[in-house]
Amino acid sequence: MDIQNLIRDDEVHRDVYVSDEVFALEMDRIFGSAWIYVGHDSQIPEPGDYWTTRIGLESVVMVRGKQQEINVFYNRCPHKGARIAGDGCGHTKGLFRCPYHAWTFNLDGTLRGVPYLEGYENTRFDMADPRFSLRKVARVASYRGFVFASLSEKAVDFESFIAGIKSSLDNFCDRAPNGTVSVAGGVFRVVQRSNWKIFFENLNDTGHPIATHESSYRAARQYADEELGGELPFELHIIDGNGAPPKFWSDLDLHAFDFGHSYMTAIFNAPDDPLSQSYFASLAAEVGEDRAKEILGVNRHNTIIYPSCSPHTSFQQWRVIRPLAVDRTLVEIFTFRLDGAPEELLQRTFTYSNVVNSPSSIVMTDDVHVYAECQKGLATQGGDWVSQHRNAGQDLPFSGADGGVIGVGTSELPIRNQFRAWREYMAGDVAETIPQQGNER
Amino acid sequence: MRAARAPITRASEVPFETLCQFLYQEARLLDQRKFDQWNDLFAEGGMYWIPLEEDQEDPINHLSLAYEDSMMRQVRINRLNHDRAWSQKPRSRTSHTVSAIVVESVCEASNQLVVGSAFSMAEWRSFGHRTFAGLYTHTLQFSDGRLQIVEKRVDLIDSSEAFEPIEVFI
Repeated sequence: MDIQNLIRDDEVHRDVYVSDEVFALEMDRIFGSAWIYVGHDSQIPEPGDYWTTRIGLESVVMVRGKQQEINVFYNRCPHKGARIAGDGCGHTKGLFRCPYHAWTFNLDGTLRGVPYLEGYENTRFDMADPRFSLRKVARVASYRGFVFASLSEKAVDFESFIAGIKSSLDNFCDRAPNGTVSVAGGVFRVVQRSNWKIFFENLNDTGHPIATHESSYRAARQYADEELGGELPFELHIIDGNGAPPKFWSDLDLHAFDFGHSYMTAIFNAPDDPLSQSYFASLAAEVGEDRAKEILGVNRHNTIIYPSCSPHTSFQQWRVIRPLAVDRTLVEIFTFRLDGAPEELLQRTFTYSNVVNSPSSIVMTDDVHVYAECQKGLATQGGDWVSQHRNAGQDLPFSGADGGVIGVGTSELPIRNQFRAWREYMAGDVAETIPQQGNER
Repeated sequence: MRAARAPITRASEVPFETLCQFLYQEARLLDQRKFDQWNDLFAEGGMYWIPLEEDQEDPINHLSLAYEDSMMRQVRINRLNHDRAWSQKPRSRTSHTVSAIVVESVCEASNQLVVGSAFSMAEWRSFGHRTFAGLYTHTLQFSDGRLQIVEKRVDLIDSSEAFEPIEVFI
């Protein structure tokens, strides 16, 4: 399959969404090499704490080691292949013990014990041979507690990968009076009957809310009009935002960076209420008023760290995108505590997540529905190409500190930018040499 | 025969049969999409809660699949009734089964009852048929001769699983 024939500067072939062959290639060339978000180090505070998740189709375990280091292994016993850790969070006391034949492994993955060891004498088995230990993923790196891993030694280094979008990770953490954040409150998990890229495209797509979310913003406004004299409490405010007029969306900024990353500026602000004020005071007490204003002045809606996650810096949400099959995607939603902030702020984070990100969200359900409709339509013979023409060729280099390119709020820049990275990954040559970005044309 | 006696005023006196009928009626209103009437069953300040975790104690300091007051229930209802609720084409159809009803406790001071039950809800919608199952815990207020829902807690047996969107009330 010639990948270059599937992609143009302003449109892509439908096969990128519906072809099993393309999906298999993506798992190899994108998820087999890119830096993929694994988890946050607050999920595994003590040695022996672990978190089981996926990198592409691989089951992996992130574990806190004896020296406080973070190790990431493939979740496979080298003996018969059983997974050594179940799903989710757990704790093991100093070693992993396979549930099948009780082989044991140290927290750094090395083989520790094998029952009936005498039976292995004069065989090719060797305790010291790495192939009888848990296999580590090729590379692990973290920034401010966010842990990423790459299954390949060859692809781009982490510093280069994260450079463009680092400012969102910084702002995510700088908003905490202590400068650190921690996962809190559980994990939402939502399954979508659509290709993983459709979700990514939607994250910075400002053209859809007014159409897709009409039922929920109308419902919120109806309630506000009938019961509250038009006033919008926080929950309704965040639902109502999707109904903003076209000019509102085009006035936003979209910033795009190498490797498919991007972010959009905020679509609504936290209310100026006693909670926001006490939170501001807690932040200003640590960093000073000017710096606190500067931090909170960086107000962004979804950030995209392609191809695995999307932080929402202003409300401490972090979505993780896990492809399951060509037409099936799992999205996990984490919420974070700003360490040192009033506990009530975390409650607002939960409220935001309950309304917007819960499987029972009245907002998201229409997104998930239209993704599935795209997946169905793209499987038809009704046309081979998918348009990304909106404001194509009109993006400009950004002179601010971030660099990258900037487009008007309703541009499809982030989508074209994702496919620029997609093309590089799929061609097998994402390396330190990825071209620097200028004007998109 | 009951009519011959003085009217019931205490939650502890509410006949078991009346509690059963209340739970059956509540489920039936949902299955008939009579959402406004269903919402009227709640007491002022009453909450509809689907915890995310087994044995979750706190709906405020933890995520929940749903934690809805009368406002959020009504907004959900408004949306379900909206013509452009895309994911409700075709609209969800449901069938509840409520069973194993037990009175777990009675509080004389507040005149409230806690009623436990098992349920399953079959749902058909655009992507097909699926089933929810779990336990209900209804905290019911008895006042002015009628029962009202102070809290409807829905503990799904798979609450921490991955879900496709949940749109109607369970």
